Amino acid sequence: MTNTEAFDGPPREWLLRAAELEDECTSISVGGLAVDLGLYAADGAGRQSGAFGRFVEFARRAQGLSVERLAEAAGVDLAEVLAVESRDAVPRAEVVLRLAQVVQIPGERLLELAGLASPHQEVSEAAARFAVSARTTAPLSPSEREAFDELLKVLLAPTEG
Amino acid sequence: MGWEAIQIEERASRTTVEARLLSGMAPTDLSVVEAEWASERSLVVQRLLQSSVPRRDWPQSLHWNWERKSPALATQTSTGFGVVCEGKWQGVMLTKRSPYTAQLDSCRGAPLVYIDFIEVAPWNWVISGIGRTGLYRSVGSRLFWKAVKQSEEEGFRGRVGLHSLPQAEKFYEVGCGMTPLGRDPSKQNLTYFELSEAQGRSLLNRAAPA
Repeated sequence: MTNTEAFDGPPREWLLRAAELEDECTSISVGGLAVDLGLYAADGAGRQSGAFGRFVEFARRAQGLSVERLAEAAGVDLAEVLAVESRDAVPRAEVVLRLAQVVQIPGERLLELAGLASPHQEVSEAAARFAVSARTTAPLSPSEREAFDELLKVLLAPTEG
Repeated sequence: MGWEAIQIEERASRTTVEARLLSGMAPTDLSVVEAEWASERSLVVQRLLQSSVPRRDWPQSLHWNWERKSPALATQTSTGFGVVCEGKWQGVMLTKRSPYTAQLDSCRGAPLVYIDFIEVAPWNWVISGIGRTGLYRSVGSRLFWKAVKQSEEEGFRGRVGLHSLPQAEKFYEVGCGMTPLGRDPSKQNLTYFELSEAQGRSLLNRAAPA
């Protein structure tokens, strides 16, 4: 690290005030890498949809995959898949996109379901119905299968707008 | 381009510490940033979950991955700035010199420095819900001021624009004196803020033109 130059700095009073406000704001971030990727919605970003983790779990079980096998196929850490299915953590977009490949859902649709992109209304409604219907971890019952298939149908439908 | 000496504040001791600000980060630097910050972000998530902090109070940049922005630095119009202290990146900012132009009526259409991304290291975040007070403060302020300085050096008279995440709006409007110009549908409805020439001069300690 060379080429150190004398610093032409900001007014001290401004710096002190700005630093106080930095502390108040938790984050001073702008733009958003997530915006670039279409992953950030200003209204309600950061919430994992209640349906997402359960959907991933159902999709895995529908394919007869273990958690370990899903993690391996998606190329993500086992801990991250467990966190997704337990709905304990906000999923990383990269993880969602990798899982989308394995469960064969368009990445942008799964991001909507994960709460990382503004969902289309039909996805929100189908996800809500699915979240209510799908509550056990036992093998899929006919009604669970029906709920799962209904959401699957919406997620696989061509995107409008 | 190059390194310059700056000072930031260590929160616990309220003492000033020496740091360095790099103008002209390389794409590989962003990989290092991500490597340094990723594990700390995970730790923050764990603590937020353990403390049942509502998601609305989580840092809104929690999903960011700086390594993904490495290609942006390959363009002629982008510049990366970073603050290093104690051998670690404490904050990073990427700016663009085009294609954004001023929206304020007083200088509409004039070129400006657009802050594409800015973030401080996760260990510097202040998150009251999990009792995190942050290691160093004023890193973001130093970076923002550097954008104003870059604008002056580029001949843009201190004009700076950015789209703020909701949590940061107060910092840019009240702390930096930027003018909010409404939500921008092309940027996920984030609010666009702009620093006028007069506001820029104030931050740069420059007298008004005669």
